[in-house]
Amino acid sequence: MRTRKALFLIPYLLWIFLFVILPILLILWYSFTDSNRSFTLNNYVVFFRNGTFLRMMINSFWYAMLITLLTLVISYPAAYFLTKMKNQQLWLLLIILPTWINLLLKAYAFIGILGNNGLVNQFLHLFGIGPVNILFTDFAFIFVATYIEIPFMILPIFNAIKEINPAVIQASEDLGASRWQTFRYVLWPLSRPGVESGVQAIFIPSLSLFMLTRLIGGNRVITLGTAIEEYFMTTMNWNMGATIGVILIVLMVIVMLITSRKARRKKVDL
Amino acid sequence: MRNRHLIARVYLSLTLVLLYVPIFYLIYFSFSSGKNMNKFEHFTFAHYQTLFQDNRLLAIFLETILLALLSSLIATIIGTFGAIAISGMKKESHKKTTLALNNVLMVSPDVIIGASFLIFFTALGIGLNFGSVLLSHIAFSIPIVVLMVLPRLNEMDMSLIDAARDLGANSWQVFSNVLIPAIMPGIFSGMFMALTYSLDDFAVTFFVTGNGFSTLSVEIYSRARQGIDLEINALSTVMFLFVLILVGIYYFITTKKSRRKNHRVIGGLVK
Amino acid sequence: MDMDIIKLKHITKQYDDGFVALKDINLTIESGKFYSLLGPSGSGKSTILRIIAGFSQPTEGKVYFDGKDITDLDAAKRHINTVFQNYALFPHLNVFENVAFGLKIKKKPMNEIKPAVKDALHMVRLDGYANREISELSGGQQQRVAIARAIVNEPKVLLLDESLSALDKRLRKDMQFELRAIQKKLGITFIFVTHDQEEALSMSDEIFVLNDGKIQQSGSPVAIYDEPVNDFVARFIGDSNILPGRMIKDYEVEFANNKFKCADGGIKPNEKVEVVIRPEDLDIVDPEKGKLVVTAQTQLFLGDHFEIKAIDANENEWLIHSTNGVKLGQRIGLFFDPEDIHVMRLNESQEDFDARIEKYEGDENED
Repeated sequence: MRTRKALFLIPYLLWIFLFVILPILLILWYSFTDSNRSFTLNNYVVFFRNGTFLRMMINSFWYAMLITLLTLVISYPAAYFLTKMKNQQLWLLLIILPTWINLLLKAYAFIGILGNNGLVNQFLHLFGIGPVNILFTDFAFIFVATYIEIPFMILPIFNAIKEINPAVIQASEDLGASRWQTFRYVLWPLSRPGVESGVQAIFIPSLSLFMLTRLIGGNRVITLGTAIEEYFMTTMNWNMGATIGVILIVLMVIVMLITSRKARRKKVDL
Repeated sequence: MRNRHLIARVYLSLTLVLLYVPIFYLIYFSFSSGKNMNKFEHFTFAHYQTLFQDNRLLAIFLETILLALLSSLIATIIGTFGAIAISGMKKESHKKTTLALNNVLMVSPDVIIGASFLIFFTALGIGLNFGSVLLSHIAFSIPIVVLMVLPRLNEMDMSLIDAARDLGANSWQVFSNVLIPAIMPGIFSGMFMALTYSLDDFAVTFFVTGNGFSTLSVEIYSRARQGIDLEINALSTVMFLFVLILVGIYYFITTKKSRRKNHRVIGGLVK
Repeated sequence: MDMDIIKLKHITKQYDDGFVALKDINLTIESGKFYSLLGPSGSGKSTILRIIAGFSQPTEGKVYFDGKDITDLDAAKRHINTVFQNYALFPHLNVFENVAFGLKIKKKPMNEIKPAVKDALHMVRLDGYANREISELSGGQQQRVAIARAIVNEPKVLLLDESLSALDKRLRKDMQFELRAIQKKLGITFIFVTHDQEEALSMSDEIFVLNDGKIQQSGSPVAIYDEPVNDFVARFIGDSNILPGRMIKDYEVEFANNKFKCADGGIKPNEKVEVVIRPEDLDIVDPEKGKLVVTAQTQLFLGDHFEIKAIDANENEWLIHSTNGVKLGQRIGLFFDPEDIHVMRLNESQEDFDARIEKYEGDENED
């Protein structure tokens, strides 16, 4: 029995070592070396001395936040309404289906839709506006990223709301709460776990949507994700790329620690 | 009450319209004889003809599917074994550490995974080709398989194993006749997720693929960067139909299997 | 001063799927009393509660509160609070926050909320529990928090939906006493929904017995127990022996092939009736002294009494509660007083029943 347990474990542990631990160590090692493989802190010095990188860092987080927030604002009501529907299975299927279409194809569609003669500008033209230059702007990047992430926000929130005991909502009404108060004090805090996992599922990936910035955002390097791609695939300065990667990881861990921290409740004296 | 339901319906419908407009936009223009997605010229199948004569694209399409099947199969085997090993761990701290390591790739941004794998392959002297892409896809699919199988193992009635032993089954028989069938739904959905991860991946593949090998995502990316090509639209239609059939099959199988747990099953469709 | 606080007039409730939960319900609730809505599941008792609370709209009919029509008023705006079946406490809030919820919603200042919550927790004997999490509480304690959360708002009517059904038997008994005590202390109206007849009998001032979306009978526990209007009520409330019979004339009825003196009148001679005799009203005597002679078949000792099943010469089964046991197979006599015989007309509604009682009691007075 013991030996067979070991057999189960070996390929899995090998995977953990080779593809989880080793790559982290390698990317760390690269960030602390130069192209001659000798130790240096220079990459970090360059990063924090250079205003472009800092601005990019702030941009990345600002955009990721905007995308997450926008997605949340659109998805929360959709998830809530979904819990009220009769044929939920069908609605759910329809919402999930687009996630199955290759992301690149959807991004490609927006090249047409947001173009100067595309769907949006044709629509605006009806009101005598335009043509507005939408494609290759930061707005286009945020818009398309939001579009792509919506289903991934709806689902966890839907599941969280579904798990709330409907009697609790009635209890709130029974105690005199208006619709807004019921939302604010009962529905929202109880659906928080769903919102949190939705935010985590969107915030981090939106830091690495370099293909969108390339295709929709006008081929400019505006986020850390794009910068990493640039250093690894174009300028071939892997050490700098690894440094940006390490910084991204550290920031991510900080964000995750902040969002998962539990609020301490204050005690009352009666 | 009725009023509220109306608002719900309208809002959800608008959300769906938003979600589907880009897809149908692509499909619509795949039948246009023009060169762009601005004005529908004449109805034509010309782009489909080009598509089906494009041997390079067809080869990539087949290779992408082969890659997905192969990587998900291997990831499922390793991941299932890993999940069995984790659930058998006696010490809670070992379990926690292993699970934390398991989840590292789940929460990492794709660019980081791609970049670190690129360094890894180069450092080990592994060439960038089908092999490196396959290894990467297996690597990022394993944790999701573990996460899908583990709950099944935890839910499993351990007295089943005792009962099988009591009836004289040896270890192999317990494993193949009791354990595996009991966790089969988890293995099945894990493999399904691995398959979608692989089919959907762009960023990681982009980093670890060399000149010799390309997946559909990478190919679409490089073509889209050169501008609009209605052959891609035709490809979208084909892939949309492909997805519809796949989802239909999945839906049919799973609803037949577990009618009561329906909503969970649909949730499993999400990558 | 008008003592009636809630009136339901001609309430009918039909659900979307066509199921009719309530059929023309009329009832009046007086302030300061303890009411029970008693019936099996699906009888419509919870639907009545939901309509009073405002969670459900009647298909037809009106709801009056303090003389005002509140049929279309939101639940949030009614001076009525509910203790829910599984308590429906807010899991993300602790005991204090749960109880304070209604007052915070009303934007009461903290220096008013604190003493009010303290009083409410004291009332349900949970002093010192304010900072506990809901998940740390036992079922009985959660029940008390739910009561405190409702009464802290000083409602005029408190609704309790199967509130004790999740508790174990011992705790349930304790809570029955406590609920009754709380109601007396607060002096507000309690409307308690239950399917447990013992619970309803022991706590209520007045009981509404429901079945099939209709009120079968209403009245004090004693009246309902002693004078069930039909065999549903007789069977549902307490154990009973129900036998087919025939009215000979006023105050004389025939059943089990014998004629007996009884206390009922106002029924046509020769009319087919049903006769109810409660098992505890049957006294075991020597066979020659009994009004009926039966043979004991089975016997169960239930702690405070024996439950004996016996059979008479006409194969009618008799249920007897007795403090003394008998020998199985033994012939025993059964003795009962004329008042122990309750005669029910077939399909008589409560209105007809009341009218008959009034009429013949009136006749009696004229004599």
